[in-house]
Amino acid sequence: MNSFFQRVIIEPLDRFLERVLYFLPNLFSSILIFISGIILGLIFKAIFLRFFRAIKLDKFSERSGMLEMLKKGGIKEPISLILSKLIGWLAIISFSILSLYSLDVPAIERVLERFLLYLPNIFVAALILFFGYLLSNFLGRAALVAAVNAGIKLSGLIGRLVKLTVFLLALTMALEQLGIGRGTIVISFAIIFGGIVLALAIAFGLGGRDIAKEYLEKKIKGEEKKDEINHL
Amino acid sequence: MKGIIFRKEAQERIDEIKEVDILIGIPSYNNSRTIGHVVRAVQTGLAKYFPEKKSVLVNSDGGSTDGTMEVVQNTTIEDFQSILLHHRVEPVLKIATPYHGIPGKGSAFRTIFEIADAINAKACAVVDSDLRSITPEWIELLIKPVIEGRFDYVAPLYHRHKFDGTITNSIIYPLNRTLYGKRVRQPIGGDFGFSGNMVKFYLTKDVWETDVARYGIDIWMTTTAIANNFKICQAFLGAKIHDPKDPGADLSAMLYQIVGSTFDLMETYSHVWTKITSSEPVLTCGFQYAVGLEPVSVNLDRMIDKFRLGVKELMGIWKEFFPPEIIDFLHKAKGLRKKEFHIPDDVWVEIIYNFAIAAHKKIINKEHLLKSLTPLYIGRTASFVIETWDSDASEVEEKIEQLCKIFEDKKTFLLENWV
Repeated sequence: MNSFFQRVIIEPLDRFLERVLYFLPNLFSSILIFISGIILGLIFKAIFLRFFRAIKLDKFSERSGMLEMLKKGGIKEPISLILSKLIGWLAIISFSILSLYSLDVPAIERVLERFLLYLPNIFVAALILFFGYLLSNFLGRAALVAAVNAGIKLSGLIGRLVKLTVFLLALTMALEQLGIGRGTIVISFAIIFGGIVLALAIAFGLGGRDIAKEYLEKKIKGEEKKDEINHL
Repeated sequence: MKGIIFRKEAQERIDEIKEVDILIGIPSYNNSRTIGHVVRAVQTGLAKYFPEKKSVLVNSDGGSTDGTMEVVQNTTIEDFQSILLHHRVEPVLKIATPYHGIPGKGSAFRTIFEIADAINAKACAVVDSDLRSITPEWIELLIKPVIEGRFDYVAPLYHRHKFDGTITNSIIYPLNRTLYGKRVRQPIGGDFGFSGNMVKFYLTKDVWETDVARYGIDIWMTTTAIANNFKICQAFLGAKIHDPKDPGADLSAMLYQIVGSTFDLMETYSHVWTKITSSEPVLTCGFQYAVGLEPVSVNLDRMIDKFRLGVKELMGIWKEFFPPEIIDFLHKAKGLRKKEFHIPDDVWVEIIYNFAIAAHKKIINKEHLLKSLTPLYIGRTASFVIETWDSDASEVEEKIEQLCKIFEDKKTFLLENWV
């Protein structure tokens, strides 16, 4: 009975205690690394914020049009704060990963390894999406202004279409980067985009037949009265 | 700043010529139809008014494919005696060369400046290659103030049709006069006289990768001369009649280049214009007389339609920097019928000042901002045409003077918001 009790209760408990004793220093060092990471992250954030302000990065971003781009993207914070926050978070994330590694648990290591390998994809996808959004706003507005100045009645629609197309393209690229439905997304995009173009072509062909005829007649016969104003 | 390298033939010609008293520059691009007349007028002007001076005619071409440079090379006055009674005739030297850099008028001028500097020209003038009303007297009027009056910059003064030069009349003249205090009536006229010193000063500036290389050159030359206290005057040249500007030229691009250059110059010379509170007339040379002008056809309906389309679609952009009063006004103006259509002077001045402030504060991309001005400018032009339909030249001039006064009165608004 005694030996049974020894084998079933005491020995596993001993082994557990042994493992806990083996694991505890790792846990403490992991917590220490994690806390150091947070502190270092905050310090880095404060130092870099001062540094970026000292080199007048905000003025530069204002002059280069980057601030306007960010504002259009819904980001209202100054670039110095964004970058210093980013550096702070990078420090915290790096130390968090280090702290997890220091736990020396094979399962966590495997998960971390896969996560680390996938991380660049998330980063690149986020970047593509961010710049895609900014670019879609920029090109949509450029198309709108150009269409208005060309006197096209459907300028608003053209602007919105350009904006949507560019953003959809960026979204497709981002999803492809993440490996989500690789082939499907590209094909879907091609089908949707092709469909829109075909629909527009048919709509213009059927609905705008008379307008096109009138326009061509005007162009060829020169019926439209033109301005002779010299603006300069 | 790096200077441009001339073609071998041009460099050889410069080496041959060595030094001249007068240089006349003609920028061109596919102007074979009109440039012959301009070259003849220049040659006659030089022979008639400056027979004792060594002169050179420089054609700076943008890669014409219609034989413009050949026309320049082959045009000569065969029978000077029938034009000039007894003057000694010195041959006018010629250099015809393609220019380098961004395609545009400013790049063509840069080549002319570089050649003028290389051959140490004492007095220079530039005239457009599409002019139909140029006479030999233009050369005298643009060059004499430099040689005899020691002026550094001679701006042109013309009689133009009341609906001609609308960017000048509604934006550039009033704004430039208000900012820098000199009443130069045609700051972007295109035909200017200037001294060798002025050329050297222009060449110290590194602006040839900006819109100055395009249509921004005229306002840049005028403003640089005024803001740096060079001695300036105007010369009355008579009527300005020329072929329509490049038919393919996009109005919004032209407006963007000119207004954009004007706003850029406001940044460069903010230390100058912020201290100026009033304007003064500029000395005018030449005998002023009335001239007959060709009628100008205007399609008012199309202009008002473009204004309405702009108000409907671009309000999202304008809302970012226009005060609510202007937004309300534009909404109301959009609904007005042709007969009632009117954009008052004070609203127009506020629109321009708000654009200047928005460009200064970089509220949105500069190109988008300034190109969005086009429908408003077209609306204002339509309003001006309606208002002055039955007016004669002097009444129109009076109207422009009133606009200038409002620009000057509201300068405090610009100063207060220029932070």
